[in-house]
Amino acid sequence: MALELLDPTGQTPQTGYAAAARLSALDGLKIGLLSNGKVNADRLLRLTAERFAERHGCRIARETAKPNASRVADPQLLRDLSHNVDFLITAVGD
Amino acid sequence: MTTSHHLEDELSAIDWCYEQGWTDGLPVVPPARERVERFLAAAGRPPEEVVARHPATGRECGVQDAAINAVMAGCLPQYFPTVLAALEALNEDAYNFHGSTASTGGSAPVLIVSGEIGEEIGLNTGVNVFGPGARANATIGRAIRLVILNIFRMTPGIADRSTTGWPGKYSCCIGENAAHSPWEPLHIGLGFPPEVSTVTTFAASGFYNIENHYTADPDALLDTFADTMAALGALTDGQSLVVMSPEHAQIAASAGYTREDVQRYLFERARRPAAELLAHGKWPAERVSDGLAPGVDERDAGAFHRGREPEDILIVVAGGEAGGHSAFLPSWSRGRNSLYQTKPIGVCLDC
Repeated sequence: MALELLDPTGQTPQTGYAAAARLSALDGLKIGLLSNGKVNADRLLRLTAERFAERHGCRIARETAKPNASRVADPQLLRDLSHNVDFLITAVGD
Repeated sequence: MTTSHHLEDELSAIDWCYEQGWTDGLPVVPPARERVERFLAAAGRPPEEVVARHPATGRECGVQDAAINAVMAGCLPQYFPTVLAALEALNEDAYNFHGSTASTGGSAPVLIVSGEIGEEIGLNTGVNVFGPGARANATIGRAIRLVILNIFRMTPGIADRSTTGWPGKYSCCIGENAAHSPWEPLHIGLGFPPEVSTVTTFAASGFYNIENHYTADPDALLDTFADTMAALGALTDGQSLVVMSPEHAQIAASAGYTREDVQRYLFERARRPAAELLAHGKWPAERVSDGLAPGVDERDAGAFHRGREPEDILIVVAGGEAGGHSAFLPSWSRGRNSLYQTKPIGVCLDC
């Protein structure tokens, strides 16, 4: 006898988030840095940003950290970043 | 819109569910439409009503989503209101659903059911209360895990970064042993009406056995609890779940200790000198040099306590009548990032 199974991965229409469009070029763009606030995440971010500066002439426009690593980033912080940087690099330290 | 799939029979459907990645590693009950509909009837709530939302991804779990996963976990329809209430508790901001399910800390949502519903649905409150054997305990806890995996996509190795995890992550649901507790039921102590059953969710990072068989002195007994709670590997300012066996609870109550007295006693004694914690690397050195070691400055004589106040220690009586074994479950994380939440089962007290 045929069996009809319902999909368990989400019947509710999802209203979450969509990926941003990919950048076509990196030259001269403004970088945002977002650390999870744990040990060494800021160092990793700065070192990574330096590579973008060397290779593509990018510059750091915002350097930020979450006050609590286990919480999602504050929406106000994300809005500010989206208005002031061209791309964001995030890192998880520990 | 409902997405469905057609399979030849139940045995082939079990393997097919594995192939889709819809399991926790154990076989699931195929979520056939008619089974799911029985669960929806038991809940009496709209299928599309959202009961939980992932704070990072925005993914939402509706009543029907929860029902499908509860079927797969092996639940019976009468368990489903408890599953929904547990999801609503996880959804509270203070529980920190995202952090507690993503973290290397690898916590499990431990469910504690208090009130008459436990007996109505056959929930084990006694012998082997954390162990196998009771369908209600095993499947209610598992339903929550399957929602975490299938709806919220907290996939191990991708979004779930648990360093070790622990077996409670498969399923962990216990009932309060009110019949052998010397104190009023937990849900009444938490301020709910006597006739309302509740489920409390607690993000636990593991399980410590507390063994003491040879004292009838309540202070000596509770010192054993406090010593376990203050172990270097467990001590943070987070909350605690202490599951007292009936035998241990009776020893404390025989000296006139109320549940609140036990909370105060354990809070006062589950502590270590802050200097000892610093010396053992419990906080990063740069935070300490900045004076940011959490809580230390506020404590008496440089002591650092388990939790920040006596109410941070949740005490539940459960387990078999015989045996000097209780349990301590520390809350997830090196800090205080998840607070337990309690919801009524099958009723809305605010509606």
